Amino acid sequence: MNEQAAYLTDTINRIFAGAGSLLPELVLVFFFLLLVTLDLFRSQAIKKLLPWIALTGFFATLLIQILGGYTSEGVQFLNLLRSDGLARYAGILFSAAGIFTVFLSLHNKPLENLRQGRGEYYALILMLVLGLNLMAKSVNLLMVFVAIELVSIASYILTLIIKEDKRAVEAGLKYILYGTLAAGVMLYGMSFFYGLTGSLDYTLSSFWQSLLAADTLMVTVAAVLVFAGFFFKISAAPFHFWVPDVYRGAPMPIVALFSTGPKIAGIIVILRFVAAFEDPALATSFLDVQLFIGIAALLTLAVGNFTALWQQTPRKLLAYSSVSHAGFLLAAILAFGTGYTSSILFYLTVLLFMNFGIFLFLQIAEDKLDVRTLSDFAGLGWLYPGLGVVAILYLLSLTGLPPLAGFTAKLFIFSKIWEAYSVSSQPILLVLLIAGVLVTGIALFYYIRIPYFLFFKRNQTEEKKVISLSNTLLLGMFALPLLVLFFKPDLLLQFIQNILAQTL
Amino acid sequence: MNDFILSSLIFSPLLAALVVLLLPLRLQKLIKTITLLGTLGQMVLAIWLYIQFNGAAASNGQQGYQFVEKLNWIGFSLGTLGRFQIDYFLGVDGISVSMVLLTGIIGVIGVISSWTIKKNIKGYFLLYLLLLTSVMGCFLALDFFLFYLFFEFMLLPMYFLIGIWGGPKREYAAIKFFIYTLVGSLFILIVMIGLYTSVIDPLATATQLGLLEKGIPQPDAIRQVQQLLQQNMISSADLVRTFSIPAMMEPANFIPGSLLHVLSGVVLWSLPIRFIAFLLLFAGFAIKVPVVPVHTWLPDAHVEAPTPISVLLAAILLKVGGYGLIRIVYPVFPDAAAYFAVLVGGLGVLSIIYGALCALAMNDLKKLIAYSSVSHMGFVLLGLASLTVEGVNGAVYMMFSHGIISAMLFLVVGVIYDRAHDRMILNFRGLAKRMPAYTTFVVIAFFASLGLPGFSGFIAELLVLVGGFSAPEMSGLLPRWLTVVAVFGLLLAAAYYLWALQRMFFGKYWIFPELREKAVLTDLNAREYLMLVPLAILALLFGIFPHLLLNKIGTTITGFTQTVLQSGQEQLHMVLSTWVQ
Repeated sequence: MNEQAAYLTDTINRIFAGAGSLLPELVLVFFFLLLVTLDLFRSQAIKKLLPWIALTGFFATLLIQILGGYTSEGVQFLNLLRSDGLARYAGILFSAAGIFTVFLSLHNKPLENLRQGRGEYYALILMLVLGLNLMAKSVNLLMVFVAIELVSIASYILTLIIKEDKRAVEAGLKYILYGTLAAGVMLYGMSFFYGLTGSLDYTLSSFWQSLLAADTLMVTVAAVLVFAGFFFKISAAPFHFWVPDVYRGAPMPIVALFSTGPKIAGIIVILRFVAAFEDPALATSFLDVQLFIGIAALLTLAVGNFTALWQQTPRKLLAYSSVSHAGFLLAAILAFGTGYTSSILFYLTVLLFMNFGIFLFLQIAEDKLDVRTLSDFAGLGWLYPGLGVVAILYLLSLTGLPPLAGFTAKLFIFSKIWEAYSVSSQPILLVLLIAGVLVTGIALFYYIRIPYFLFFKRNQTEEKKVISLSNTLLLGMFALPLLVLFFKPDLLLQFIQNILAQTL
Repeated sequence: MNDFILSSLIFSPLLAALVVLLLPLRLQKLIKTITLLGTLGQMVLAIWLYIQFNGAAASNGQQGYQFVEKLNWIGFSLGTLGRFQIDYFLGVDGISVSMVLLTGIIGVIGVISSWTIKKNIKGYFLLYLLLLTSVMGCFLALDFFLFYLFFEFMLLPMYFLIGIWGGPKREYAAIKFFIYTLVGSLFILIVMIGLYTSVIDPLATATQLGLLEKGIPQPDAIRQVQQLLQQNMISSADLVRTFSIPAMMEPANFIPGSLLHVLSGVVLWSLPIRFIAFLLLFAGFAIKVPVVPVHTWLPDAHVEAPTPISVLLAAILLKVGGYGLIRIVYPVFPDAAAYFAVLVGGLGVLSIIYGALCALAMNDLKKLIAYSSVSHMGFVLLGLASLTVEGVNGAVYMMFSHGIISAMLFLVVGVIYDRAHDRMILNFRGLAKRMPAYTTFVVIAFFASLGLPGFSGFIAELLVLVGGFSAPEMSGLLPRWLTVVAVFGLLLAAAYYLWALQRMFFGKYWIFPELREKAVLTDLNAREYLMLVPLAILALLFGIFPHLLLNKIGTTITGFTQTVLQSGQEQLHMVLSTWVQ
């Protein structure tokens, strides 16, 4: 009896000791509960307030995580969640993504007309971001699973928040079916790992030592199964089939969020998972797993870029573009031993701005200018020169051309892969490098189609609509970092480095 | 003034572009005037720089660049992996100074030629100025990253200039141009990344190690760092990686064990990796030159582009390719340059002959001239491959001279197209009767291009051929028969120009019946004289007084040739020694 009491006290003490490190998550939970409670009131005044409450929550977490100081290195929450610099930087990105999503939602026409569930909508965004934060902090397989499921469930509902839209419902259904399948497969793989090692904490060296002793085939199979779940979240091939449907059906702010938030979180999870491979001795023992990731990266690059070539609607084009970016990130993850974390975080940051920018552009085009297919863009660049030029900036950054941050991000990643190749001479790295550079050429071919219609084709209408000031400001806000981060990338890199070292 | 002249050269068009951006659409005259002022400013600066440039100053390796501007741009510590450094690093030597002068002159001619553009004036001149900025940047940058930035940025204005203001098939031509050049620049990107991970900046590393604080003078500190580096005595945390092109030229700056080090011994697809890097870089720039067989974008782009853009494309954009070969590919990979000399020279000769044969077969005057460009740029390759002082001088002379003459050629095509909206050779006959002044300039341009003595083209071709013929003795890189074949190119050039002249301009006046209604065949107007006369004078001036150019470029090129040849043989020996093992 006493023993149990002691254990209980101990656990409670540990919970209290570690709870401080979860401050951003607790703030998110608080605002979620606040939002849900306030949503019960019928008053229109309160309903109008809801997005701003969500916004306050995101700004609060953003501020907390930029300022830091709520946690110190080494504090873990019950061996489940680790609040290190990596998680903190990811948290900043998630909060920013949350803020951007709310901004986009405030300008979204279908969401404006939404009768029911506006409160839930914003509450679910908070919940999703909470899940993303947990994903980035997890160091335990089971915790990873729970966090991913939290994100997934919020995602399913957000996809079909506009229930009248048939395509949204179809997308939501497909998403749920694929999602549960991926989750099941991942859980199956995790149980393999648990059986092989007796531990769920994959950052422990004993975890990897036991895997070394286990049957190689079993380990590879387990890794493949677990990675299936991760790949689903970052929309990498061959688990990308939900992407075009969801991107076509979901509301635009949610699409923008999906293309960044879960992708960032998934990459961080994989980053933590393969962190053990930084040790070259260990890395050589898991060549199969690396080869598997490499082939998946190649496949993702190929599928994303080649399929994008044939798309006729901007939403689907950007869906496959999102797949292709997952490919670049996966390729970068293989550059072990080169200190690549800051380069990947740089890429993810740039991705955040590019994607929200282009989806905001698309939202304006859809809501205001009735654009459904690529050819509907015809001549709009001459009617709205500012909008057209900003779109070119986003698209060229997505392609990876100078003078935009997308180029710098790709340059960093490619140089890491080259360095890793010159250290380890793994042929897969060379293949990835060449493939990555060459698909950039293909990428130009489809990205340029939007400016092509914007500027090269005659417009069908002369009627000019007004683009609101707030939209213009937002467009500028997403575009400016792309230029700044090209000309002074060291500013952000230094910031990332400081946060990773928890010196800020 | 001297301190910032290179930056002013790059940014004077950009400044004009900013002013144009702020002007309202309807002030069309003002937009044109501002553009003209911006380019005139650039031209004056270019001429001033050319006069101030000391052609006799020695030039080798890190030294020898004049008017250098070097600022830290991006610097970042990678912890245990050292630092990386990107500099805003500009400078001119004899090779770039000639290209700067050319860009300055052609920039102004292009604006005058654009005076009649009607559609979307503001957008057009904005893109035009951006294009000039990036071309000038390419010729002045000494940091590979900076060079690449300008090199890539050229594509975008060009894409829109062809795609929006071009002829009937403009969209196809624009995308073809874009994709071809982008693929080329991606090849360059791969090698740039490889070089960056392999090369250190010895001076910055010396600073990092604190050598300079100890009072060791700079040259000694650099030598000391290079020695320590080659003995693997510097910890990787102290290495400062760099994109500086002069640093890449010295094999002593390569980190031992990096893939592109001469002794790395890495073999890829059964070639040493340095050779692969050379081939990739060469391919990237060859697309821009363009070299047969990757030239197919050029005729399309030229035919569809509006006249001023064709002028710019032929006169200065193609030169960026040749310039890249001379500035980067040859000095950084002299070993591979020696190894692949016959390949490079052979492709040059192939371009000369194939381009000339295609030109002979063309019915469209503009296409004929486009192919003649391919043929003439082949001489640049041949001269460079010979690695003799005459040959390389000839290559640079050819780039300059072709810049002047091809601008003239495209302008005269523009004249007939403006009047008749057609430029098929067979649709016209006896134009000399109706347009005597125009015909005079056509004759001047054609004869200058086919290498008549007295024009700059003759000097260029002569130098290249002399270089080619002396190559077996001087550098031992090219067989003599290659140059013999190239001579036939001159013959073919005479054939296609004279034949076109005879068909279109001489004989009894006649034009294709369907064209008669629209065509108003008046002779040259004042604006056209303003463009053609200075170019004709320049072609003559540099044909009669070649030392005007050779005095400026000579010393640099002698140094370049000796360095490339000598270190090429040494490094080739080292690469081959590891390859055989």
